[in-house]
Amino acid sequence: MKKRTYIGIEKKEARWGFAFTVPAILFFCLFSFYPILNALYTSLFDKRVLSLAPPDFMGLGNYTYIFSSPDFWNSIRATFVFTLGTFIPIVIFSLMLAAFLTNIRSKKMRGVFQIAYYTPAVISSVVAATIWLLIFDPRGLGNQWVNLLLNTPGVDQKWLADRTMVQLSTMIVYFWKYIGYFVVLFITGLAAIPPAIYEAATIDGSSKWQSFWRITLPLLKPTVVLVSIMAMLQCLKTFSTQYLFVQGGAPRAPINVITLNIYTTGIRNQRIGRASAMSIVLFLIMLLFTWMQFRFSKSEEVEY
Amino acid sequence: MDIHKNRFNWTGALIWAVLIITLIFTVMPLVFMITSSLMERNQILRMPFSWIPETFRYQNYVKALEGNDGSWIFPRNIFNSLLVSITVAITTVLIASITGYGIAKFKFKGRNLIFMMIMATMMIPFEAIMIPLYMVATGLKMQDSYAGLIVPFLVSAFGVFQMRQYLTTFPSEYLDASRVDGLGEFGIFWRIVFPNCAPVIATLGILSFRGQWDNLLWPLLVTQSEKMKTIPLYISKFAEEKLTDEGAMMAAAVLASLPMFIMFAALSKYFIGGSAVYESRKG
Repeated sequence: MKKRTYIGIEKKEARWGFAFTVPAILFFCLFSFYPILNALYTSLFDKRVLSLAPPDFMGLGNYTYIFSSPDFWNSIRATFVFTLGTFIPIVIFSLMLAAFLTNIRSKKMRGVFQIAYYTPAVISSVVAATIWLLIFDPRGLGNQWVNLLLNTPGVDQKWLADRTMVQLSTMIVYFWKYIGYFVVLFITGLAAIPPAIYEAATIDGSSKWQSFWRITLPLLKPTVVLVSIMAMLQCLKTFSTQYLFVQGGAPRAPINVITLNIYTTGIRNQRIGRASAMSIVLFLIMLLFTWMQFRFSKSEEVEY
Repeated sequence: MDIHKNRFNWTGALIWAVLIITLIFTVMPLVFMITSSLMERNQILRMPFSWIPETFRYQNYVKALEGNDGSWIFPRNIFNSLLVSITVAITTVLIASITGYGIAKFKFKGRNLIFMMIMATMMIPFEAIMIPLYMVATGLKMQDSYAGLIVPFLVSAFGVFQMRQYLTTFPSEYLDASRVDGLGEFGIFWRIVFPNCAPVIATLGILSFRGQWDNLLWPLLVTQSEKMKTIPLYISKFAEEKLTDEGAMMAAAVLASLPMFIMFAALSKYFIGGSAVYESRKG
């Protein structure tokens, strides 16, 4: 197939290709692949940072331990409650807001809304959590607003004290911070739908409401699925809000998400083996969702 | 006809109401942060809350910088955050573009394998590898140092992916023409390819800067001394301390957000475009 004269050039090209890509590969081997393999390996040992004795091999002991510990099941519950309670409202509201925004004729107005919605995503999650810590103070704005809306003056909603409320509070912070980000994603998705389709539908007598349910939503389905999984993956990794709330005095158990548990177990309590087993479980959960993302994005391609 | 018109107005009003209520919801906490950073602490938690600071208390900012222990460590922490975020933004852009270029425009054995490997690392969440990564950093004697804060984030798989996607559409004729003109491979990358990636570079640079500016978890593990800590750590510690003045806490929050606000005001299209880039994963 190949002619001899080209080999020189091909070799040269291959050499440069290697030179350009090998540094990154080495980097990823050391800082991504090695750590995950190491976590898998360590999860089989009873490793504690401070002990000088070589760690004991325990097979799947760490896994049987965490899966029989109510504390870890509580973390799985907290993570999934948070994920479901956050990503579903985020996806629904951001889709709705994006659809509303694309209906605004004035481009300037649309830009103003988009930027206002997006601004919370710009600040860091630690800052977001401190702002809301103050809002959720018993004397704070949270109580004042809710009591105004519900007409229940003087009631303390226990935003940071009650088991259920503190979970809701973390969800509110996350919803607030990321709603604009997802609105922007959906606006991009909506903009990709050719206006000619709507024009044709309007000529055929379709109302805006009908157009949304019959045209926009089906065509946008791949984006919705993709954005949902992305939002879920983000929620599964949540750490900062829960960490700051716990540091700020909120009860730990209701919001002890997996990442927070890994941190406490591995770093505070020095149970490296056990924390590694939790890390692997988290990794597998996220792998499942990523795999779903790839499957959906392959099968749900839409041609306009 | 009349009924039709009437109905349209109702939905229109409803849409505007929803949009405006959401606007109030997203903007209010930010306004709260800014105005309460200028208030006495007893005004912040007063019921009912009044939005205008009674006294223009700039001392909150002094207190935020000074800290509860009077150590003035916050300026150093701000410097650390700036240094780490800027360095990571620069290295990510450089390494990601050269790697993406290598994968997109050079044919060699194992190219697909390399690309698949890099894609695979996107599935490894940082939170799952932080503890072994901490042991790697300790093994390399990088704990509690700038190297420890920076090196694990030198380049991101997502960055490589993005650059590769962008550069596959780059016309190869330009590259061949430059080769004929006698430009070396590095010269081609630096003079022809890199300058032509400006939009992706801006997006990726902002994304990487922001990632480190916001990073709480890794600095929490890798730093021990106060002078190596970054802004998120300072703020979380400051917020925990019982004697912290709420006004000073909000002042620290404003100071931490200022660079991001400035960047957002100047480059908002790259921020908003930046999140839209995730859409390209579809392809």
